[in-house]
Amino acid sequence: MAIALASPTVTGPTFLARTVVARRTARRSLRSAVLWGYVFGITVASSAYSYTTIYKTAAERQRLDAVFGANRAVAALFGPAVHLDTVPGFTAYKSSMAVMIIGAVWGLMHSTRLLRGEEDAGRWDLLVSGETTLRQAVLQALSGFAAAAALVWAITFVITAAVGQASSVRISVSSSLYMSAAMVSSAVIFLAVGALTSQLAASRRRASSYAGVVLGLSYGLRMVGDAVPGLHWLVWTSPLGWVEELRPLTDPQPLAFLPIAAFTAAAGLAAINFAGRRDVGGSVLGERSSREAHLGMLTGPFGLTFRLMRSSIISWVVAVAIGGALVGITAQAAGSTVVGSSVEQVFTRLGAAGAGARAFLGVIFVILAMTVGFQATTQLGLMRGDEAGGRADHLLVGNVSRSRWFAGWLLAVAASLLASSIAAGLFTWVGASLQGSGIGIWSSLAAGVNIFPPALFILGTGALAIGFLPRFAVAVMYTVLGWSTLAELVGGFVGESHWALDTSLFHQMAAAPAVAPNWQTSAVLAGLAILMAIVGHQALLRRDLQEE
Amino acid sequence: MSHQADLAIRTQGLAKQYRDVGALVDLDLEVTAGEVIGYLGPNGAGKTTTIRLLLGLIRPSAGRAQIFGVDCQRRPVETHRRVAVVPGEANLWPELTGAETLHLLGQVHGAVDVVYRDELIDRFELDPSKKVRTYSRGNRQKVLLIGALMTRADLLLMDEPTSGLDPLMEQAFRVSVGEARERGQTVFLSSHLLSEVEALCNRVAILRQGRLVEVGSLSEMRHLSAVTVEATVAGAMPDLGGVAGLGGVAIQGKALRCQVQGPIEPLLAVLMKSGVESLLIRKPSLEELFLALYGQNSYHARER
Repeated sequence: MAIALASPTVTGPTFLARTVVARRTARRSLRSAVLWGYVFGITVASSAYSYTTIYKTAAERQRLDAVFGANRAVAALFGPAVHLDTVPGFTAYKSSMAVMIIGAVWGLMHSTRLLRGEEDAGRWDLLVSGETTLRQAVLQALSGFAAAAALVWAITFVITAAVGQASSVRISVSSSLYMSAAMVSSAVIFLAVGALTSQLAASRRRASSYAGVVLGLSYGLRMVGDAVPGLHWLVWTSPLGWVEELRPLTDPQPLAFLPIAAFTAAAGLAAINFAGRRDVGGSVLGERSSREAHLGMLTGPFGLTFRLMRSSIISWVVAVAIGGALVGITAQAAGSTVVGSSVEQVFTRLGAAGAGARAFLGVIFVILAMTVGFQATTQLGLMRGDEAGGRADHLLVGNVSRSRWFAGWLLAVAASLLASSIAAGLFTWVGASLQGSGIGIWSSLAAGVNIFPPALFILGTGALAIGFLPRFAVAVMYTVLGWSTLAELVGGFVGESHWALDTSLFHQMAAAPAVAPNWQTSAVLAGLAILMAIVGHQALLRRDLQEE
Repeated sequence: MSHQADLAIRTQGLAKQYRDVGALVDLDLEVTAGEVIGYLGPNGAGKTTTIRLLLGLIRPSAGRAQIFGVDCQRRPVETHRRVAVVPGEANLWPELTGAETLHLLGQVHGAVDVVYRDELIDRFELDPSKKVRTYSRGNRQKVLLIGALMTRADLLLMDEPTSGLDPLMEQAFRVSVGEARERGQTVFLSSHLLSEVEALCNRVAILRQGRLVEVGSLSEMRHLSAVTVEATVAGAMPDLGGVAGLGGVAIQGKALRCQVQGPIEPLLAVLMKSGVESLLIRKPSLEELFLALYGQNSYHARER
């Protein structure tokens, strides 16, 4: 029997043609959705099992609950700790904050990449020239994101429910459903926020920055609300606060889904509405198409790099400064409950020996070091983007050598990391001073400068990878950053073994201002970073430039 | 062979291998200073690879390349001082304006004829105050063209330079290349536009599957190809069996259409016996040469 391979007649719009953007978005989300679903599920499972392994007796569990439950430092950092004398309580507490942050970052990065990033690359011109409009395309993309979020939720649920069946854990299926929904909520919110900022901003970088500001403010408001007595209402002004207020496995508060749903729907509808009012490739906050030339910095690779990184540098420095000021404000209140508690032991394991605001800030500066490490990763990504996009060619076919181009970028990124580190120290001191925490400016500034070498080390790994594996340079940096962060978080709470902590880059730095900075170690980290950059440079000189 | 000092470009056994694919194979090419050479080939023939090797952006698997006698791999920055480039892809920094981009390109090259730059901006009708993000593809291409031409570099390497330009701007481009030639600049023009190459170039080099299959002036290359003859005779069509170099013979009554390789006199002598009413002898265009070289049969015949 003959089979018609293609119809010779035009049959009009088809369902497949009308849903191409939705299906494409869902397909391109599949890998990361599966990955994060597993990560979220494994986080729940490891939290539950580590609790049953470490805290075996009821007495140990009650002691843990008594100490952590009332601790404002813990609440500021990881959210309120309640019912820590039960497996579900500890599991919810241990998993929620990490998953909330990871989910939010994934949501905003993924959304801006597939919306504004694709539009930047001109690929949406092709999609929107099909049987759709820009408004419908954004609606379709949101549907694709919804499918991806549903997949994350489903995988998290399956793992949580499976773990919950264990007799030592005992989490019901309905609680697992609720827990999984809570865990995926921040990703859902920030997928929508990213979709909205992708309509507002004219470039992916800017769209991600706007969404990042929303995330930073959300975290800051939640933190102040959790740490400072009498300001708990602030938690309800923050999207991350709403997620926290869901209180899965302990004291479920489904009402908190209302602001989450309303905010997500509002952001999604606004994105769709704005998409219908703008040109493909345009933006709501349209940039001026022309302006006076500013030639001051455009004299070579170093100046150009600063010029290209200007908005990134400002965003990071401002974000770190605001974050530092907020934790500075909470330091006195949060640190006052550390003394004599087992939190003090956790802080000591993390290197922040001592008590009070200093110990609290010691841990905070470790977190700020992770943040500045993340900055190094994103900014080296800009360098790789210049090579991958063929723009570096324009410099390298002139009188700019590869060495100058490489050094120009690395010096600019390093200077930017140093600026953020100093801003962290300075503004943490400003915040702490407002509350009379007794932290001196030089002590705080030294703590700020102390987080620079680990960030420089991460930059060094990127520089090394640029030489040998340019296409994987950013992934290599994320691996170092991600592993060190995870090892720090896990190692801090699991007291039996120090091996995880020892493999963390951040554990190599002194947790200033809790303890004095160890400048020798800092020098070693900086030296290794320079060595990696030199080796990467030599490899760069010997390889082809690699465009995407 | 030209004296080395007179050579703008010299490659010897230049090759680039990507895994099991030979992007460029054993390229021996000499381009004399002051020459405008067309570099032709279908997609993937190795044109861009050649230019990136000359610029030192990628490393050769074998062989060497020199620009004005300086090794492209060992001393790339030194060679770049005498070179300006129009790359194949118009990737620029979207956040900069056209004026800022031109300023940067000038700074990077080190030398700019500012008066000529302004003249080029007028000629190509570019609004330099606009951000690159808002430029069309053609306008981004204009920025790259102006950026290269304004340097008055001794060697212009151009990879599909008119891609995205409208016919008026293509004309402006031809005027600019003509000016460069008059100033004694060397132009290496990689292009698909055969009419453009035919109008601008002294010599043509043709690549196929990474190999240089032909190089020479257009007149030299025309000798390699058959001329087309169209004739109408007054009497009966004579027997053409004994005419040497004849091919593609099509006879319709008293009308003949054929290709002749080599001297045309033997054919004319035979036709004259029947009385020639009309006669058209046409040299091959570059397009016909190009197609002849890229026809599978022709290529395999040459390979053998």
